[in-house]
Amino acid sequence: MLGIIEALINGVLMGSIYGLTAVGLTLIFGVMKVINFAHGSILMVGMFSAYWFVKLTGLNPYLAIPVVVPFLFYFGYFMQSWIIRPIFEAEKDVREPITVIIVTTGIWYVLDNLSLLFFGAEYRVVKTSVTGKIFEFYDMYFLLPKIIGAGITILCAIYLYWFLKHSKMGKAIRATSLDREAASLMGIKQSKIYNIAFGMGCACCGMAACVLIPFYYVYPTVGVPFDIKAFIIVVLGGLGSIPGAIIGGIIVGIIENVGAQFMASTWTELLLYGVFLFVLLVKPSGLFGMKQDF
Amino acid sequence: MKQLLNQKPIILLISALLLGALFILPLIVTSPSLMQIIILIVLYAYFTSTWNFVGGFAGVLPLGHSAFIGIGAYTSTVLFQTFGISPWFGMIVGGLLASLVGVIIGLPTLKLRGAYFALATIAVGEGMRVLFENVKQVGPFKINGPSGISLPLMESSFWTFQFGSKATYYYIILIMLLVVLLLTYFMMNSKVGYYLAAGGEEPEAAEALGIKVSRYKLIAMAISCFLAALGGTFYAQLMLYFYPKSIMGLDLSFEIAFIALIGGRGTILGPVLGALLLRPVSELTRIYLGASLPGLHLVIFGLILIVVMRYYPKGLVEPIKKLIDRFIHKPARGKADDPSNPSARQE
Amino acid sequence: MALLEVKNVTKRFSGLIAVNDVSMSVEEGQIVGVIGPNGAGKTTLFNCIAGALPPSSGSILFDGQEVAGKKPYQICQAGVTRTFQVVKPFATKTVLYNTVVGAFATTQHLHEAETKAIEVLKFLDLYNKRDVVSQSLTLPERKKLELARALATEPKLLLLDEVMAGLRPQEVTEMLPIIRKINETGVTIVIVEHIMQAIMNLSEKIYVISFGKKIAEGDPHDVVSDEEVIKAYLGDEYVATQH
Ligand SMILES: Nc1ncnc2c1ncn2[C@@H]1O[C@H](COP(=O)(O)OP(=O)(O)O)[C@@H](O)[C@H]1O
Ligand SMILES: [Mg+2]
Repeated sequence: MLGIIEALINGVLMGSIYGLTAVGLTLIFGVMKVINFAHGSILMVGMFSAYWFVKLTGLNPYLAIPVVVPFLFYFGYFMQSWIIRPIFEAEKDVREPITVIIVTTGIWYVLDNLSLLFFGAEYRVVKTSVTGKIFEFYDMYFLLPKIIGAGITILCAIYLYWFLKHSKMGKAIRATSLDREAASLMGIKQSKIYNIAFGMGCACCGMAACVLIPFYYVYPTVGVPFDIKAFIIVVLGGLGSIPGAIIGGIIVGIIENVGAQFMASTWTELLLYGVFLFVLLVKPSGLFGMKQDF
Repeated sequence: MKQLLNQKPIILLISALLLGALFILPLIVTSPSLMQIIILIVLYAYFTSTWNFVGGFAGVLPLGHSAFIGIGAYTSTVLFQTFGISPWFGMIVGGLLASLVGVIIGLPTLKLRGAYFALATIAVGEGMRVLFENVKQVGPFKINGPSGISLPLMESSFWTFQFGSKATYYYIILIMLLVVLLLTYFMMNSKVGYYLAAGGEEPEAAEALGIKVSRYKLIAMAISCFLAALGGTFYAQLMLYFYPKSIMGLDLSFEIAFIALIGGRGTILGPVLGALLLRPVSELTRIYLGASLPGLHLVIFGLILIVVMRYYPKGLVEPIKKLIDRFIHKPARGKADDPSNPSARQE
Repeated sequence: MALLEVKNVTKRFSGLIAVNDVSMSVEEGQIVGVIGPNGAGKTTLFNCIAGALPPSSGSILFDGQEVAGKKPYQICQAGVTRTFQVVKPFATKTVLYNTVVGAFATTQHLHEAETKAIEVLKFLDLYNKRDVVSQSLTLPERKKLELARALATEPKLLLLDEVMAGLRPQEVTEMLPIIRKINETGVTIVIVEHIMQAIMNLSEKIYVISFGKKIAEGDPHDVVSDEEVIKAYLGDEYVATQH
């Protein structure tokens, strides 16, 4: 019984981190109606950045946040403005921007394999001041960095939610997600909104990367499982919904961790796909899906 | 058919010559390994052409096409191994099974925004791979989990779908490709083709014109999955060994989508052109640089894709066709280029 | 019996009643106008009739058959085709292709559909644009294409949603005889339009809608002199231009 509660809590902890990457994905989708298939690769870029930061400076891993998060923000900002924007604009009258979607998969391929070329296929771990630290609670054991990571993640999501609701830029972003022309009415260039939304989506990956680094391996295709989980999460939670992404993330984390008590991990993976398809079949708008033009 | 032959004589002549060249190719190419590369080009053109029915015409992006290829490969192989049923029959069974699965997935997702369909197909593709990796045996059928199936080497015969000479495989897949291209042509010039294109571009307007959009998309899905599975059986018989990652993975699904987009989705020759361009790139970099620079061919793939989408978002068929048009018209008109030439309506 | 019988149709969006208990009746062969200020609910009424939105309540009889809540393609197949105020061409396809899609409603064969489409394009004076990709058409041309596609389905009832909006006066004058000619081939027409001149000129009967409610109906000339209509919609401006 205790084992299950422990797994449940671990699921919530890990799930909130999945949730944060999914928040980035859902934010980009909400504004541009584009699924960023390179999202996992962006996370990989963030994890390698954080890895090298810690490895080279030997500093506390959480000090990487003020470096890696802005770096990924601009990485996303310029990726959108240099690579995606021209393609997006050529297709902006089209209801389904398929070309843009496929270009993000192209970016995925380039990033993952460049990192394979540079860093090789091996799994890397970096020993930090919190690595391996255990937090004990009623005979249950949790990794301290997981707890810290989940805490930071939740704070981050709350901040983002607040930012979108109350700041001027946030309002402009939300208006654009409802109506592509809206931004120009508010006196902000639409392409700038897209750049910023993309940048923020990638910054979420940067944050997730920094909190993962103390307890997770880095390797060139580390993004792929995160990517696929993020896809499942956004559909679970409802494409475009931020609370949905966090809660979807937690659900996925729980399925994975609690499932692992009863079956091999390859079966929990299958279970996730099953849940995903089930949601698509019965409630395609997801748990928190906004009414939208499917 | 009338329309097909109703082209300029010079184009008909060139097409006939090309076709003839394709059929005598095995007489010229004697190296089996080169033949293998050529067969794979044709096979990938075939895969991509089957993808085209949905990805090219229905306005959605399937990213799990390898699932159906895998269904084809596994079905015909286990039927042959367990009951000795000829892969030719197994091929049809696999096709029907793939069709069924495709329709079941398409039913809920083809009504939604394209993003959902893309995600759902990824999930199905990957889900199927994980499922096959987890399962060693289904009833009497051995599928061996992640280690896959290797077919026992049989006497070369039509019944066993195994042949001593690569040329036979080449002719089989070439004919399969030509049939699919012809099918594509007929579909594009039929009510189904027009309705699919309309529903893909503006579903609301299409419905207002009397089109049950989801029905036509489902028809396309059924055809596409059926044909993809046939290709899967061919792959199994050609390689005689396959495992879930080789035949149902994301990589294969993505490569097919990449070929389609680079060549030109929604066109007849796009998949062929895409395969002609990408397969050699991938084979050559793998052969010459694979050991020293792993993953380089995928970097090149990605870069080609990004650059082509940037400058030719409709794929390379369009500019290449223009180039050929110009080449053909040049001697006749005696003018270098004539942009005013009102080229043919619908391909 | 009327060809189209709309009875007490109401359409609610969360919190907003866009169409409020509207009834109307259209006889076979008529041209009926629907007018009302922006946001009055005219397009929403069309959406309900054409099946794009299910009405919240009420009944819609076409040819004696209940069509309320049916899908757009079913209603089109029954003989009602609508155009969109915000045009929705198949953007990457040519004018001819767009029209052929419409023409396939009555045939299985491409050559028959093409013959029909070409006939319609000639009729609407779009024939020489047949090979132009619809993306690159001007707005008036797109509006005409919208009409061409709809006409190619050979509807019994045509719902025209502001097909003349955005056209120059000269172009409007060209359009009027076309619409009348369509009507003369036996197509019943319900037309939503802002341009009074057009509506007055074409319609045998007018419905006026304001804030989702029908506030007047009848002969065009009687309706425009109705006090309430002038107040609600036409305003002083119209009264002024009358003299
Ligand atoms: N799909 C919808 N969801 C919510 N409100 C809508 C929708 N369609 C129209 N409305 C609202 O219904 C009202 C009537 O709109 P509409 O029928 O387009 O008016 P008209 O065509 O007469 O200009 C408007 O207030 C509009 O905002
Ligand atoms: Mg309107």
